[in-house]
Amino acid sequence: MPEPKEKMWLLPESAAVNALVDDIGQDFTVEVEPQPAFTVTWFDTFDWRLYRRRQVLLRRNKDSWHLLLRPAGEEIVSLRGKGLAGCSFSSDFPAGRLRTVLAPILGVRRLLPLVTLDSSGVLIRFLNRDEKVVAFLFLQEQRVAGADVVFRTVKLQGIRGYDKEFKTVSRFIRRHGIVDPVPPFHALEEGVRLTGRRPLDYSSAFSITLKPEMSARQATLAIFRRLLEAMQQNTPGIIDDLDSEFLHDFRVALRRTRSGLALIRRVLPPEITETFKKEFAGLGKVTGAARDLDVYLLYEKDYKSRLPASLQGGVEAFFADIRARREIARKELVRSLRSPEYRAMISRWHDYLYGDDSGGASENSELPIKDLAGKIILRSYRRILKDGRAIDPSSSDEKMHRLRIQCKKLRYSLEFFASLFPPDDIRIVIGQLKKLQNNLGAFNDLSVQQEMLHQYLARLRPGSGRNQQLASAIGGLLTSLHHEQQRVREAFFPKFRRFSRSENTELYKKLFG
Amino acid sequence: MSVIAVYNIKGGVGKTATAVNLSYLSAGGGDKTLLCDLDPQGSSTFYFRVRPAKKFNISKLLKGGKAVDGNIRGTDYPGLDLLPADFSFRNMDIALDDLKKSRHRISKVLKPLRQEYDHIFLDCPPNITLLSENIFHAADYILVPLIPTTLSRLALRQLFRFLDEIGQKRSKVLIFFSMVEKRKKMHWEMMRLLIKKPRVLPTVIPFLADIEKMGLYRQPVTAAFPRSLAATAYSGLWAEIEKRLGRR
Repeated sequence: MPEPKEKMWLLPESAAVNALVDDIGQDFTVEVEPQPAFTVTWFDTFDWRLYRRRQVLLRRNKDSWHLLLRPAGEEIVSLRGKGLAGCSFSSDFPAGRLRTVLAPILGVRRLLPLVTLDSSGVLIRFLNRDEKVVAFLFLQEQRVAGADVVFRTVKLQGIRGYDKEFKTVSRFIRRHGIVDPVPPFHALEEGVRLTGRRPLDYSSAFSITLKPEMSARQATLAIFRRLLEAMQQNTPGIIDDLDSEFLHDFRVALRRTRSGLALIRRVLPPEITETFKKEFAGLGKVTGAARDLDVYLLYEKDYKSRLPASLQGGVEAFFADIRARREIARKELVRSLRSPEYRAMISRWHDYLYGDDSGGASENSELPIKDLAGKIILRSYRRILKDGRAIDPSSSDEKMHRLRIQCKKLRYSLEFFASLFPPDDIRIVIGQLKKLQNNLGAFNDLSVQQEMLHQYLARLRPGSGRNQQLASAIGGLLTSLHHEQQRVREAFFPKFRRFSRSENTELYKKLFG
Repeated sequence: MSVIAVYNIKGGVGKTATAVNLSYLSAGGGDKTLLCDLDPQGSSTFYFRVRPAKKFNISKLLKGGKAVDGNIRGTDYPGLDLLPADFSFRNMDIALDDLKKSRHRISKVLKPLRQEYDHIFLDCPPNITLLSENIFHAADYILVPLIPTTLSRLALRQLFRFLDEIGQKRSKVLIFFSMVEKRKKMHWEMMRLLIKKPRVLPTVIPFLADIEKMGLYRQPVTAAFPRSLAATAYSGLWAEIEKRLGRR
């Protein structure tokens, strides 16, 4: 299936467009038509969910959206209409193909405007002796909004069945010194760079490349720097309340930092480790309340689906309360993140991580990181085996919870040091751990929800009709959640048996021993 | 995806004008569209100012695959391609008769193109022939422009009888009134008789000079004069048909 050809070049300052068009006019009839100016804004989530899938979402003139495929720019789906300019979450779009495509990709994330270009241009048609159009030439000027930068491009668009004419026009273009090819999204990608961002500059997944011969101290500092960067990247989004993932990712980076401080022993000076363990534990508390409420809000749809129509009113009242509480917690959190104390703490940590390498070593500082990494991972793994084997059907929720934390620590240490070991083995090891973690995560999630609902119920004053409705709804939810938790707990045992079987232990020993 | 054949046993009923304008409107709505000019006169080809390659002929058409692919031409309008006609198409029936499975040849040629396009329009020559039979097999819809006269009614009856004979469903047929002249009493009376039938579309295409003149400016009237009465009528007709396409 021959697709129509398209080529784009950067138009050099020196290029004389009129002379070019005159030249081409010797072979073809030329029609020139100025195009209406338009504005285009590129949207994606903070973590580039669309870009990662080779997709580019553009809003044109505030009244149409176009989802295009990189790198060629084919349109996947578009949507036109009034009142669409303010769409931010997938649920803001009207039901239809665009929303269906976007919803699973965006999840809870908000679309953020990355860069806006003001475009104007001229369309030139080349016609043959039958007055049939055989090629289009677009001269385009794209001005980056808010910056004094203009991209001038020439795009030649061929027509199916007229390849010879396409080649002829291409030749004229080359002869006029227009030889710098650019991809279709050139102006957008360059424009984004001007705003200080670049495609794929953020991902919620942790990845770092360490070298086996690095000292433990160098490697540890590199890990903590990366995590601090993640916290700092997410802070503005938390303050502006863009979506709930900013706080989530911030807290993941924070937890990874705290685990790192606890797991990587005797590498940083003890006073540093102790001080920042405490500081970050405090930060964990400050951010925890808002995150918990964010999580509860994400349950709204699920809770509605668990209850009959008669109890829906109660669920709505419940979530109205949660939303109000979340607003308070959020304000509190923003105050903390803006406080001089917080800023000072972060800059002390920053200064330490980027400071002079010579000061304050500890006994493991100069060990090769690979040796230490293996020890840390094996220690975590053995701890999980011991704690996991002690769990039986009558064990408390608390024990399951502790095992979940142990698993998280193992996961973090595997991710910190993944680059030091064969990638295929690491993938297997993480894959197995993930299965166990999913089960423990689901179990914990259900515990937390029940606890939250119990607490909420305890605070309700009897009497009002609204509260009666609320209490019935919560009662219904508790029953439903409890049953589900039983099922998850039963599933734990076969999952753990798989995780702890001897082949897996052998693999850990082989890799990390 | 649908294949829409624009067909009438009689000639001169506005088939080509219909195929050209509806395919233009289809592409304008964002659907990738192909117009196949099967009429040896090549009027659709002429309207779009396309000159078929010298080597393109009936055997290439019936061979299908790359032979057809390489002869599709982009029109001046985004999303609208044309498979041009060649004068050799006048011998279509003889050529078809020589082939195996001669009744399904056009279906076979269109099969790969169904993947590529959202709508394929067939501008068909008049008469009832082996080619017509091919077209009725290949088409999801047979769109019949009908000038409201007694003879047209006769032609319609012949079409239905033929469809019955070759085992094709009458429900494929969609009829609309074409080249309607307000001042002609017979047109009114015929329309009154037929309009209530289930396969007759309510939109009427009047007899208009702008449509007649398409041969002069060689563009769909919907592209050249989008605000004209003619363009409005075709847009209405296309909206009707699109609704029906969705229903099946």
